[in-house]
Amino acid sequence: MRLLASLALQNLGRRKARSLLLIMAVAVASGVVFTGATLMRSIDSSMAVGFTRLGADMMVVPEGALTNITAALLTVEPTDLVLDQDLFARAGIASVGRAAPQKIARVEHSGIGSHHDSVDLIGFDPVLDFTVRPWLVEKINRDMRQGDVILGAARAAALGSELLIFGRPHTVYGRLGKTGVGTHERGVFMTFDTLEALAGSVHGHGGGPPAVLQKGKVSGFLVELAPGATPLQARFAILSTLKGVKVVTGDSTMSGIRQGLAALLNSILALMVLMFASTALMVSVLFSAIVTERRGELGLLKAIGARRGQIVGMMVIEAVIATGAGGVLGVALGVLVMRLYERSLVYYLENIGVPFVWLDGPRMVIVAVAAVVMASIIGALGSLYPAWRASRRDPYDLVRGEG
Amino acid sequence: MLSCRSLRKDYVTERGEVAAVAGIDLEIAAGRYAAIIGRSGSGKSSLMAMIGGLSRPSQGQVTVEGTDIWSLSENALAAFRNKRIGYVFQFASLLPTLRLVDNVALPAMLGGGGKSSATYARAAALLGQMGLGDHLDAYPSEVSAGEQRRAVIARALINEPALILADEPTSDLDEQTEIEIMDELLAVNRERGTTLILVTHNLALAEQAQQIVHIAHGAIVP
Repeated sequence: MRLLASLALQNLGRRKARSLLLIMAVAVASGVVFTGATLMRSIDSSMAVGFTRLGADMMVVPEGALTNITAALLTVEPTDLVLDQDLFARAGIASVGRAAPQKIARVEHSGIGSHHDSVDLIGFDPVLDFTVRPWLVEKINRDMRQGDVILGAARAAALGSELLIFGRPHTVYGRLGKTGVGTHERGVFMTFDTLEALAGSVHGHGGGPPAVLQKGKVSGFLVELAPGATPLQARFAILSTLKGVKVVTGDSTMSGIRQGLAALLNSILALMVLMFASTALMVSVLFSAIVTERRGELGLLKAIGARRGQIVGMMVIEAVIATGAGGVLGVALGVLVMRLYERSLVYYLENIGVPFVWLDGPRMVIVAVAAVVMASIIGALGSLYPAWRASRRDPYDLVRGEG
Repeated sequence: MLSCRSLRKDYVTERGEVAAVAGIDLEIAAGRYAAIIGRSGSGKSSLMAMIGGLSRPSQGQVTVEGTDIWSLSENALAAFRNKRIGYVFQFASLLPTLRLVDNVALPAMLGGGGKSSATYARAAALLGQMGLGDHLDAYPSEVSAGEQRRAVIARALINEPALILADEPTSDLDEQTEIEIMDELLAVNRERGTTLILVTHNLALAEQAQQIVHIAHGAIVP
């Protein structure tokens, strides 16, 4: 193995300009793939946070409920009308990706804030939720449980402190960031169980507890479209499947961007695969030429006792060294390019409110190692066939320059 | 030592199949110096390639030291070539990226000996015997054609083969160098008892042989 590696290295050193060009070509491909993969993953996770924060695509509330439409759909509106909590689970509408149920009760004299303060108590399902938790800026380091509340940005209280709501003690579990949406800013968020436990203390218009505080009843749903579905399709599907509901659409531009970006990232992935495939072909063509050029030498090696495996091994090691070096150089170039991105793209995204989340160190190392390994595999695959073909020839044919 | 039975080599050309070697029977005893002579295109190099395990015959059998070499597996044949046969080709057949000493040690390393100090000591000694003791670290391009050919003879001897096949080894050398190289080969045959088969169209070189095989149109001419 050491002998073959040493022969391969010497062969590479023989045609320095050609070897350097091969290394550079692979470096460009690996650099693009490394940078692309890292940025894609980073953009993907950044957008996952960013777009989730932009809220739902649409809101489904009881027909007749009054709604206050904001640019971002983060919470449903308080209303006396209710829907069944398992409405979407039962309907199974294909164009709906996620449907997060919420209960909302606007109360006074709750003990929160000043005496006449109107407070929105918002119940959500932590499992299905995608509009409340993304805004958590701080929380206690444990799962949320009954009796915990999350405060909107406009309400201040220390984490873990006790908050009395209608005289009942609750624990401040977390605090949301500023959203610019009133209900979100002033709301007090809790699980359905926590909110339903307050039913005895909250009075609706008829004197009794509001209907929304009954188990299994909700004020409405925040809906995210399934990948590829349009708001129009989803609206039609919801209205034709569910009775007695109203569909409120948010800013449809965001759904378009979200879905468009997913398609764009997939296209970039396909382009990267194509780029690697074309590099493999290029390596294969180059090594076919190298094998042709060195037929005499390979024939001589066979004549003096080199086995087929040794001939193939030498050529493959030569290619792997060149493409592996290209891979390492490509990763280094990629890191350099991303340094530039950091100053431009990241700044831009953060300016429009999308926090850019870089891949963490260990993951970036994994992507880098994967890029180098892929480059080496391309070298091995690209050189394997020409080397294998040459190794099959009789030494005499190779020495005479045939085959 | 060497036996060929009904040995035949056909090549497919645009004009159809051509027999380069058309059924040759040949015996060469161990330790002899045999010369295969004939005009260009007579089939002598094709015959030597089949004898040396370098080109598979279309038909027939080659036995070297009792081994039917073309019945061996590919790896076994490579090992046989490596251990039992030494080659001196009609061109400078040294790897240009290796020093002379590396070139000479290469067959031993390919044969599984690895890069051992014993291999290198043997390679250095052989180069010394060929008068190249001062050029161990030289690259092929740094020595003359005659010195390159001597290094090739040293390489052919590294695994102490039973048979040396030399295919027109001096065709591109001047007369004086040709004599020196032939002296080296004949010394190997004489002093080591290694069977030497020389392919040449030079009748003067062939005259020194103990056995002359004259080939014309792929067949032995009596």
